[in-house]
Amino acid sequence: MAEPERFDVVIVGGGPAGQAAAIALAGHSLSIAVIDEQMRPGGQILRQPPAGFTVANWLADRSYAPLKDQLDRFGQLENVSWLGGHSAIGLQAGSIVASGPDGMRTIAADRILIAAGCQDLAVPLPGWTLPGVYAAGGIQAFTKSQQLLAGRRVLLAGTHPLQLIIAAQIVAAGGTVAAVLFAQPRAAMVRALARHPLTALGRLSDLFTARAAMATLARSGTPVRYDVSLSALTGRDRVSGATTSAGDLQCDAAGLCYGFVPQSALPRMAGARMVAAGPAGGWACVHDDWMRTSVPGLYAAGETVGVAGAAAAAAGGELAGLGIALDLGLLDTKAAHRSAQGARRQLARHRAFASLLDTAADPRAFFPTPDSGTIVCRCEDIEHGILSERVSAGDSANAVKLATRCGMGVCQGRNCEPTLLRMISAARGPNDAGFTARFPARPLAIADLLAPD
Amino acid sequence: MNATRITQGVTRGRPIAITVDGMRIACFAGETVAAAMLAADHIAFRMDARGQGRGMFCNMGVCSECLVTLVASGRRVRACLIEAHDGMEVATRG
Repeated sequence: MAEPERFDVVIVGGGPAGQAAAIALAGHSLSIAVIDEQMRPGGQILRQPPAGFTVANWLADRSYAPLKDQLDRFGQLENVSWLGGHSAIGLQAGSIVASGPDGMRTIAADRILIAAGCQDLAVPLPGWTLPGVYAAGGIQAFTKSQQLLAGRRVLLAGTHPLQLIIAAQIVAAGGTVAAVLFAQPRAAMVRALARHPLTALGRLSDLFTARAAMATLARSGTPVRYDVSLSALTGRDRVSGATTSAGDLQCDAAGLCYGFVPQSALPRMAGARMVAAGPAGGWACVHDDWMRTSVPGLYAAGETVGVAGAAAAAAGGELAGLGIALDLGLLDTKAAHRSAQGARRQLARHRAFASLLDTAADPRAFFPTPDSGTIVCRCEDIEHGILSERVSAGDSANAVKLATRCGMGVCQGRNCEPTLLRMISAARGPNDAGFTARFPARPLAIADLLAPD
Repeated sequence: MNATRITQGVTRGRPIAITVDGMRIACFAGETVAAAMLAADHIAFRMDARGQGRGMFCNMGVCSECLVTLVASGRRVRACLIEAHDGMEVATRG
């Protein structure tokens, strides 16, 4: 593949939003690069098995069908350079710095779309740094992509209904789930959905998927419990059990499923205006009707603008593609608006459903309680007690970072920032803008920084 | 042994082997280094400041808990993103 270092459009993220944008831009003879950390496109929702694998009935549930169809169409596009295995580590208007197997490269483009997806909310509790404890999405990715069951008895615990789907996928693959524990009462979840029945009905396929997952779990005898909170994960050199409000149980892998936050490092680094994201925390990129951010030439779609699921991401990505075409003068306003009608309807519908899901899955009243020795910043081993002291002393997130190294490690605060901001918010209100985003967004070898281009 | 490969309906790449801290690990072409390590029950990717083993966490390139060193190049890479290649030597300590 020829790889000129200037493109008309660069898209960060090959998930549903990035694919939809590229598809919307097809036919305009633009050069488009799509950067993704995974080797193959799909995003986390369609995290593909390795190219050399054959998987019968891969993600066969019909809810995945439209996304697979879009992935096929994306794969057939011409003029798209797929830069898999590359991490976007730096962003400013007009250029992106990416690191890949051959080191660092700078890629210039007047139009850049950030569709970088989301991540699991990291939730500190005693024992969560034991090997075998994962973000639930990580366990699901192993099942979908590597065709690996993370454990022989997997525990899933949290507040987000996705854990039902993850559990059902494990069971369908022949694995055993120790239990699925929802910290909130079942009635609270049902109430959230029942409050807006039409919105819920508008996404029947999701409700059916959840119901099918419940049926799979029931057939296998997997316990699904509500109003059961996780207080600690236990084990000596790996996780071997959990302490819950309903007693102890054994497991050899555990997935924490308390919600998802946008991956926001790149737009924050570029200086784009952000707002607090959903109840799980994190930062969402502010955008207009064409997914333009506050930075000229920079667009955002998908979970980057707020976690709302794959269908909303695809709709937003299409709008971003049309917006870019409009801004490049390839579409007139009337044509762009006409083309965007369907995507706008879809986006509104899926966001309404996501908002219901946010209410049903709201983790805020149900977080486990760390003790003072619980590590919050996994990279730098900074404990909750130390952070509490700094927060009580009135420190901002950046001040806490400087004083303690919390958020200064290789993950750049992605795991600890939401927890620290909750602590600050509880102490004196939600006005802290969090850590200042710094280059590089992903770990990078000094040798790569020093190497001549 | 905790993590196990799903076999029903799955055909993998050709059998290969990598070494992790000098130990030979049999795996399959296309697998990530992280998947190969977990399937071989190599569950600790580093030691933390308290001397406790730490595993990988997010499996999507975000948390960097799975950073390992490729011995040939000295590069630190996220094991969840890197494909295993036959003969690859990996070290869990920098």
